[in-house]
Amino acid sequence: MTKPGFFKRAVAGMGGLRNVLALAMFLVICATIPLDILYWNRAIKPLDYSYLFFAVFMLFYGVYPLYVNRRLTRYYWDRIKRHRLAVPGMIFILFLIAVAIIGPFFTGDAVQTNFKEQNFPPLGFTYQQGIYDVKSDNFTTVVSPGVPQHPLGTDDKGRDMLAMLISGARVSLQVGFLATLIAVMIGSFLGVSSAYFGGWVDSVLMRFTDIMMTFPFFLLLILIIFLYGPSLMFIILVIGATGWTGTARLVRSDALSLRTRDFIIASRSLGASDSRIIFRHMMPNVLSQIIVIATLSIPGNMLAESGLSFIGLGDPNVISWGAILNAGFRGINTTWWVAVEPGVILFLTVLAFNFLGDGLRDAFDPRSQS
Amino acid sequence: MKPIVEIQNLKKYYAINAGLLAKHVGDVKAVDGVSFQIMAGETLGLVGESGCGKSTLGRTILRLEEPTAGKVLYDGENIVKWNKGQLKGMRRGMQMIFQDPQSSLDPRMTAGDSIGEALLVHGMSDDKARRESIGELLKSVGLEPEHAERYPHEFSGGQKQRIGIARALAVNPRLIVADEPVSALDVSVQAQILNLLMDLQRDRGLAFLFIAHDLSVIYHVSNRTAVMYLGKIVEIGDKTEIIRHPLHPYTEALLSAVPCADPRKRQKPILLKGEVPSPAAPPPGCRFHTRCPRATPMCKEQEPALIPESPHRSVACHLIK
Amino acid sequence: MDSLLDVHDLKAYFNTRYGEVKAVDGVSFNVGHGETVCLVGESGCGKTTAALSILRLLDSPPGRIAGGKIIYKNEDLLTCSMNRLREIRGNNIAMIFQDPMTSLNPVLKLGSQITEQIRLHLGLNEHDAMARSIELMEQVGIPRARERVNDYPHQFSGGMKQRVMIAAALSCNPEILIADEPTTALDTTVKAQILDIFEGLKKEKNMSILFITHDFGTVAAIADRVVVMYGGRVVETGPATDVFANPHHPYTIGLMKCLPNIEAEGGRLTPIPGTIPSLINPPKGCIFQPRCDMGLEMCANEYPGEHFVSARHSVFCHLHRT
Repeated sequence: MTKPGFFKRAVAGMGGLRNVLALAMFLVICATIPLDILYWNRAIKPLDYSYLFFAVFMLFYGVYPLYVNRRLTRYYWDRIKRHRLAVPGMIFILFLIAVAIIGPFFTGDAVQTNFKEQNFPPLGFTYQQGIYDVKSDNFTTVVSPGVPQHPLGTDDKGRDMLAMLISGARVSLQVGFLATLIAVMIGSFLGVSSAYFGGWVDSVLMRFTDIMMTFPFFLLLILIIFLYGPSLMFIILVIGATGWTGTARLVRSDALSLRTRDFIIASRSLGASDSRIIFRHMMPNVLSQIIVIATLSIPGNMLAESGLSFIGLGDPNVISWGAILNAGFRGINTTWWVAVEPGVILFLTVLAFNFLGDGLRDAFDPRSQS
Repeated sequence: MKPIVEIQNLKKYYAINAGLLAKHVGDVKAVDGVSFQIMAGETLGLVGESGCGKSTLGRTILRLEEPTAGKVLYDGENIVKWNKGQLKGMRRGMQMIFQDPQSSLDPRMTAGDSIGEALLVHGMSDDKARRESIGELLKSVGLEPEHAERYPHEFSGGQKQRIGIARALAVNPRLIVADEPVSALDVSVQAQILNLLMDLQRDRGLAFLFIAHDLSVIYHVSNRTAVMYLGKIVEIGDKTEIIRHPLHPYTEALLSAVPCADPRKRQKPILLKGEVPSPAAPPPGCRFHTRCPRATPMCKEQEPALIPESPHRSVACHLIK
Repeated sequence: MDSLLDVHDLKAYFNTRYGEVKAVDGVSFNVGHGETVCLVGESGCGKTTAALSILRLLDSPPGRIAGGKIIYKNEDLLTCSMNRLREIRGNNIAMIFQDPMTSLNPVLKLGSQITEQIRLHLGLNEHDAMARSIELMEQVGIPRARERVNDYPHQFSGGMKQRVMIAAALSCNPEILIADEPTTALDTTVKAQILDIFEGLKKEKNMSILFITHDFGTVAAIADRVVVMYGGRVVETGPATDVFANPHHPYTIGLMKCLPNIEAEGGRLTPIPGTIPSLINPPKGCIFQPRCDMGLEMCANEYPGEHFVSARHSVFCHLHRT
């Protein structure tokens, strides 16, 4: 056997070129942080950094494997297609992601108020409002129709609904993805370790999970908001750091049944190390379960953020769907669209994620495998 | 000739814990004092019913389960206390093939990756050389090198079993523990796999510990046969001697219960009373006395030792004097 | 022997996303009074599907019975009303399944699982039904039946559960017992005990038994007549002694040769080459043709008809045209 070069051995030691590249990308992102602070006057927010991390992570560990195992991808795609609603759900989500990324460049500043254009209804609707005329000291009724400049109307401060919804989509997706990523990473790591090592490790981790399950997430959040002020980053962290318990339990139960499977024993009998077994055998096999859990818990986390914004505990500096809903709720009898539009879109998003999650679950279910 | 593996009084107990504080209340005595040797190039057939501890025994020899007591001598060295690094060398010498071809391959790995893992773990990191070896291994078990790219769900049960065998062969072992390798397969495929194993043994001088519940399979592949009941060996020795002239009443019953594939030779099997007792509470004395048609009062009190009855066979029964 | 159950040209198909699987494709056989017929074949040969079709227990969809007749006492079970079928199930024809672990309800006492059936079909009161259950359990060799009726399934071993299943199946004195691999999940010595119960049923009650198995050893031990299946079709049928002593179909011959046999010399076996074909696009002619070493040219094109080698022994093979 020829001795491979140092670089090759180092790459092999890290588990392949992919890990090296991913790490390099992470380092590049980290390196931009001081640059940003020193020279660019903090143009990039902490949240954007985490989102960048998330994107790199997904690229290397989500998209890349799908591309490498094209045959397996096609196989799962065929299976997902059988679920009638999963594909529309997926298309909707992809559309939403695209809109959230590209949209703000076209729609302009969502926070821009314009009191000349307040309360325009969506295109195709009319809205009758009374306007107080100072000169004649009279109320005149003005019928304002929807205008093409504001296809989804404006709110009581004259902000464009479309722009707000698009910026809300960005917030909601960030919350959904990041909080879920944090929760799922903690949960699956604890779950797999717990199952693989068993014994006292298992007992300690699972009791910890039990305690976390009963931990009042709301109280923690209020405490943090009280101490540091409301910030989207904290909200994401808190949702992520408290939402992993279900994942940990589900992943553990999956991994437990996996641990006794013959191929794990075969690997051990070949002399494979614990980390190799965990990362090459256990993780890929619970991954499908993790993906399903993640997809199904994204809408929950989005709703959690919206709920917080709705009751006024959200970050006042960002426009999230929940915040719009909260603002529009007061005028539900008259300017109904301000509340209905974010409501509908939230509803559709949650539904889309659930359909996709169901589709993925069916596709990955070994029992339905022929 | 020196044996590849010799086990001495090997025991494997599983603790039963109960109650809030997980108090130790007893042991499941899966393997309870087993000794034998396996020579180079020979097949020792290990037969017994489910729950007799035969699979546990196989795994304990490979240190996939930690033995409770006793010795496992590999090339004369006791591996029971060896650490991971030391064991890695032993793993090149002893491998395992499994019963269920469905669960013995990682569903998320191609056949080639599964086989290649063995090579990778033992230091063959050159991709090209590895791919060549995988192709060779696939050919040696009757598959094509192109099969390396496929996933387990694209193979039939028999083919999966061949891949499992190729994986075990990858490190060039001297002994293979085969845990019921054909019992999940259809009869017409079963014969193919049995022949493959016998051919590999002939060509590579492999030794097998062949575990099965089916005496007729054991009869075909083994040189020596061991019969296990409730964690102990009741009879061990030359295959032909044991199958043609069983001495232990359990072996006798087991043999008579093997249905002969000829209705003209139909005979009433020896029907044993009841069922196998729990290994958590094995009966005192001879473990078989509760079901033995010829049990004497002595059998209930005194445990018979495994005594050589002829140069080629030992039996653990009070009735054999 | 007059036949009690007559399966004629039964076809049962499954819809899968890859296409239609012809799991049972024109299977005919019959079971006579007091006769034990063994339906034998490897996995995927359609034996279980055929057995389930008899009582219309096939999961539908994806399965469906595509044709044929199942005549029980001048009545076609495939066309009779659901009510009538329910009467026949259990009362006249009872079934036992492979896995005793899953065929009992884990939260009900064993006794009540048997009594339930007795009360349903025979209309006995609680007390009489319980007495009958105990009697049945004793009959299948469950020791201390009177105490054990109050046990739950997990307190029983596999062999004992299978005895309970047999007792439940016998509760209404059926004429025909269909047993789908009842001994496959059991150990050798326990299997011998269960086979002994079947033997007893045949002798003492003159029961007709349709026994489904993949194990030729089991067939040899209990069968009067054998129906060998391959790829959804019958390939050979005849009295057990004839088929074993003088198999005619290349598949049957191949199976006999490849079985590990304790009476033989040991050493190498003679396997059948290849694997079981997919039933989605089966070969056009004889299904066994790709694995057959004695095939004729016509085997690839034409499915062989039934050829009789003796009065009751027939084979579906072109080699035996007369």
